[in-house]
Amino acid sequence: MTADRTDRPGPDRVVVRRPGPRELRPDRAHRRRRALEVALAVAVPLLLVLWWQLAAARSWIDARVYPAPGTILADGWHRALAGDLWPDVRATLQRVLAGYAAGTAGGYLLGLLMGSLSLVRAALEPLLDALYVVPKLALLPVFLNMFGLGEGPQIALVAATVFFFVWISTMAAVLAVPDGHRDAGRVFGANRWQMFRHVLLPASLPAVLVGARIAAGVAVLVIVASEQIAAADGLGHLIFDSRALFQNDVMFTGIVCVAVLGVVFSELVRLAGRLLTPWAPRDRGRGQS
Amino acid sequence: MRTRPRRPARRPRTRRTTAVLAAALALSAGCAAGPDTAAPAAPRTIKPVRGCGASSWTDPADLSPGRAPARCARGAPAPVPLTGHRTLTIATGTLTAEYTAPLRVALAKGEFRKEGLDVRLKVLPTPDALPLLARGELDALWAAPEAAVVNGVHGGFDIRWVAGNFSPAPGSRSGLWVRIENGERASAVSLKGTTLGTMIGKGSVIMYPMARAFAAHGAALDAVTFRQLGPADVLTALTGGGVDSAWLLDPVWRQVDGSARYAFLGGQPQGEPLGGALYGPNLLTKDPDAGVALLRAYVRTVNTYFAGDYKADKAFTGELARLLGVDRAVLEAVPALRMDWEIRKGTTDRLQRAYRDAGVVKGDPLPENRLVDRRLYAEAVGHRM
Repeated sequence: MTADRTDRPGPDRVVVRRPGPRELRPDRAHRRRRALEVALAVAVPLLLVLWWQLAAARSWIDARVYPAPGTILADGWHRALAGDLWPDVRATLQRVLAGYAAGTAGGYLLGLLMGSLSLVRAALEPLLDALYVVPKLALLPVFLNMFGLGEGPQIALVAATVFFFVWISTMAAVLAVPDGHRDAGRVFGANRWQMFRHVLLPASLPAVLVGARIAAGVAVLVIVASEQIAAADGLGHLIFDSRALFQNDVMFTGIVCVAVLGVVFSELVRLAGRLLTPWAPRDRGRGQS
Repeated sequence: MRTRPRRPARRPRTRRTTAVLAAALALSAGCAAGPDTAAPAAPRTIKPVRGCGASSWTDPADLSPGRAPARCARGAPAPVPLTGHRTLTIATGTLTAEYTAPLRVALAKGEFRKEGLDVRLKVLPTPDALPLLARGELDALWAAPEAAVVNGVHGGFDIRWVAGNFSPAPGSRSGLWVRIENGERASAVSLKGTTLGTMIGKGSVIMYPMARAFAAHGAALDAVTFRQLGPADVLTALTGGGVDSAWLLDPVWRQVDGSARYAFLGGQPQGEPLGGALYGPNLLTKDPDAGVALLRAYVRTVNTYFAGDYKADKAFTGELARLLGVDRAVLEAVPALRMDWEIRKGTTDRLQRAYRDAGVVKGDPLPENRLVDRRLYAEAVGHRM
């Protein structure tokens, strides 16, 4: 919409609003806007990568410390073809998925319980609030003692991290279900299961899935840090091991893999959310208007 | 009267973008590193040094475990103050390890100051310190020729190992320990397919003695699963059955020493230092006078305070504990290190072989002269090579 105005000061000033392209041709305006957003989303990272490549090639930056994207890509390709990369990707992925599944299930169940039963909430909320603020990485030595040197500590760490995100969002979502919805359930004579199945679950699931999506990113963050400390494989181990060996091209390959893994995992959770909650307002993703 | 809608002012935005780009370019220029074009060092005059006679140099090819380390008289070599005052920054991975004791004592006793050097210590892991050393932002690194150093030199960094640090005392049992099952004899233990706990990564110089110990017990480096653990967890993992063997450092090995359930399979070779001082272009080529002065102060400190069993002097042990910030009992629990500023011939070849077996270095092995420079400590003790 465009706004024209008179130059005359005082009470006679008139503001005329004319419909702009967005109002006159909304479909076309939306398509152009989407095209612009997609172009920006592709062009900005591409320009940055090209600038990085140029800076490395022209020795503006030390390519031994910051290898050129081409070098990183070549190393990643070589490692992927040689089969060196996949064991680390697989190890990280397995830990993330196992921990994420356990943490999500635990967080969701406890969130539902605490959101529905005030006495359970009164009993557990202070304790869980206290545990929530503990940096989860600080729990790794505890998990090492509890589960030994296998996969247990890594999975437990991811599960503990994910648990809190899902628990908080579930509990808040259940508490936020409007009384009118519950009243409607009661009017129709819904029992506890029916109340859960037809009222609480559909009303709370969109918010729960937002928490689950945030947790997906954090799960990848935490596993990378954990693998640095107590793992013999995985992308975190690859990154920090190659850093210790001054193999910066390998380190950046690991970083890129982690970034890709995080984005893919987060997007898959978002996609699952869309399929599971078709009634929820559509989450159109970052940067989309 | 109507006016046309105003166009957004584009000029300031353009200026802002230009400024951001300029700042980014300036930042990148700050990080810039041209090729390490180290000019060949000019020939230097070596003068005999009072107090440093024949015993101040040993044949680098002498690898005998019983070799007496090079020594000058107490207080030698005497300081030769530089014409101008210099400030040097030395990075080290830790300030509490016993091998840094000569550095800490030299600082505390003013040995560097006597040479006209103001030495500052900075705690920095080797991989982080390497680019700074190569760029001249650090002058020296008190560490070891780890795989990261070999990879850095391979990549073009002008860095050399210029002085040794220590080799273990004959009574030391810091090294590879294995858990023995049901009356098994230590000499018959097989390490093939076992799990090893270590707080040191595969790129450490310890890979070389580790490979030797493995070879003596029928295993290659790739036949053992490495599990990197924290300092407190290595012993717990060994005693709790989490790992079959472990590389135990001072003084942790004392916890299993004497127990029939554990056997010591080997440690760092006696008489062969595996770490010490590494110099970058600042001290190798730009200001070798300062490089020699730094080593002269170090050598003098060793001759004055660490010539023999320095832990026999209880007062000095107490002072050392205070300087290092460690418990005195921890220092006294293990024998004194054999401080040694010299570098043995072929050590870097053996290290590179171990790194290669562990798969942590790339490219062809580097010749010794790309990694080692003995000329500076030779000059400090007045030895003509």
